[in-house]
Amino acid sequence: MTRWLLPGFLFVGALATLILIVGPALYAISLSFYEQQSLTADPIWVGLNNYATVLGSAEFWNALGNGFFYAGVAILLQVVLGIGFALLLHQSFRGRTLLRGLAFLPYLLPTVVAVLTFKWMIDGSLGIVTILVDDLGLPPIYWFETESAAMMSVILVSVWLWTPFVTTTFLAGLQTVPVQLYEAARVDGAGPIRRFFHVTLPMLRPILTVIILLRGVWMFNKFDIIWLTTGGGPLGATEHLPVLAYRQAFTLFDIGNGAATATLSFLVLMVIVTLYFWLFPMDEKK
Amino acid sequence: MSQAADAKRLAGRASLYFGALVIAVYSAFPIYWMIASSFRPAREMLTNPSLIPHTITFDNYHNLLAQTDYLRQFANSSIVALSTVLLTMVLSIMIAYGVTRQRMRGKQIIISGMLYAYMFPPLLLAIPLFSMLNSIGLTDTLFSLVISHLTITMPLGVWFLWGFFKTMPFELEEAAMVDGCSRLGAFLRVVLPLSVPGLVTVAIFAFLLSWTDYTFALVMIGSDANKTVPLGLASMVGAFDLRWGDIMAGSTLIALPLFVAFIALSRYFVQGLTAGAVKG
Repeated sequence: MTRWLLPGFLFVGALATLILIVGPALYAISLSFYEQQSLTADPIWVGLNNYATVLGSAEFWNALGNGFFYAGVAILLQVVLGIGFALLLHQSFRGRTLLRGLAFLPYLLPTVVAVLTFKWMIDGSLGIVTILVDDLGLPPIYWFETESAAMMSVILVSVWLWTPFVTTTFLAGLQTVPVQLYEAARVDGAGPIRRFFHVTLPMLRPILTVIILLRGVWMFNKFDIIWLTTGGGPLGATEHLPVLAYRQAFTLFDIGNGAATATLSFLVLMVIVTLYFWLFPMDEKK
Repeated sequence: MSQAADAKRLAGRASLYFGALVIAVYSAFPIYWMIASSFRPAREMLTNPSLIPHTITFDNYHNLLAQTDYLRQFANSSIVALSTVLLTMVLSIMIAYGVTRQRMRGKQIIISGMLYAYMFPPLLLAIPLFSMLNSIGLTDTLFSLVISHLTITMPLGVWFLWGFFKTMPFELEEAAMVDGCSRLGAFLRVVLPLSVPGLVTVAIFAFLLSWTDYTFALVMIGSDANKTVPLGLASMVGAFDLRWGDIMAGSTLIALPLFVAFIALSRYFVQGLTAGAVKG
């Protein structure tokens, strides 16, 4: 018993990993080499045909570009806003604990709930935001109707939902910076802005590197928020790779192309992550 | 202190509190509006967007429970989330403990493999899982959802607990075994109780991911009987003329368990986030 406990654990673990992760991942890649007309039809080996189709379509490149734009802008805003919030929440004032809790709340919401609440707030005639905009005498905002507005609206909801991740992790990092460093900087005559750029940022660089990496990976892969807000529309203006892969596999029932798109999107991500590790080496192994 | 310095300090405090107010409104107003709308009478929704509802009503909740499958969906969500949590705990404890305590080659591969699993686009897993489960007739079951959720929660559980067990000195178990415990006894009586904080964190995030999941439910579930709350809520929007009151009531109910858990266990949420134990 004693001798077999650890090997037993590892055996169960290896089995679970194979069934849950390795198996599906390999199967996805193999699916991308087959063409399957329907879910019940026999798959036909087509080699790299699916990849040729996908890479030759304008849809793919549109989705890739949209994905970069969406992830890039959303991360930038999350990081800037999150750091700003964290800096404020790091000050001492009355009600700080409560505010830290409030600032975290959006992160808890299911994406569906955030999207529905947003859609209710901007409802064409009854939404509180619509009424407010009207009362202020501003022209109505078409949140999801035009191509550029739709992208900005999706980014807005995404930033609202996921900024608390940056706020909370950055705040936890701020609490580890020794106070003496700030005092020394102050004695040397550094103002708050210089203290931030010359003490805080260098000290928190490792944390920030990890935050940007994690958020970047997740934003690039995020499917539900775009699907629920715009479904990729209007006219493909917000369609990124996950939505394209979903549409190919489950609305066009073209599993082969869907798998090829998903595999390509993973490859793109791996290239970016490798580049990122090369540009910003993680000196501090976590 | 001079008057100018005083004024400057005062301005500093004022802008601090102003900033705090901005954060509070920005973060909490949509949530407040969701809850307030869920208690507003239908008539008031149409005419009167006052900040605080004039009358409070449970009509929306009553409608939601009487006219939709909400209760059923809530039960489905609970079954899926609790099963996911349980299986995530069992599997990730076994793997993480095995990997930290067993001397073996290739350990690093398992751990970095788990990290790569983190980066898988959900659809890279959802498409093959759907295909596989479909061929054995298991799609559109709650079981298929539990399996799908495990593909995300297990790697994060292993990753987090690996960090946790790694820091726990091996001497603890040795001492217990010298005192006559078996290896399993030492694990159950010494290691697990000391790991409770880590286990709670893993349980919380496994629950959060499973409870809030929409993507896998959309792919796997087709019949109304097996819908979870996120999927059910999303289909309410298209289903009948937009009854925002009912939808907001449904949204409030699904968010409620998460808010309660957060108030009771906020420490663990922060711990999990800072360890990067989350995907989302």
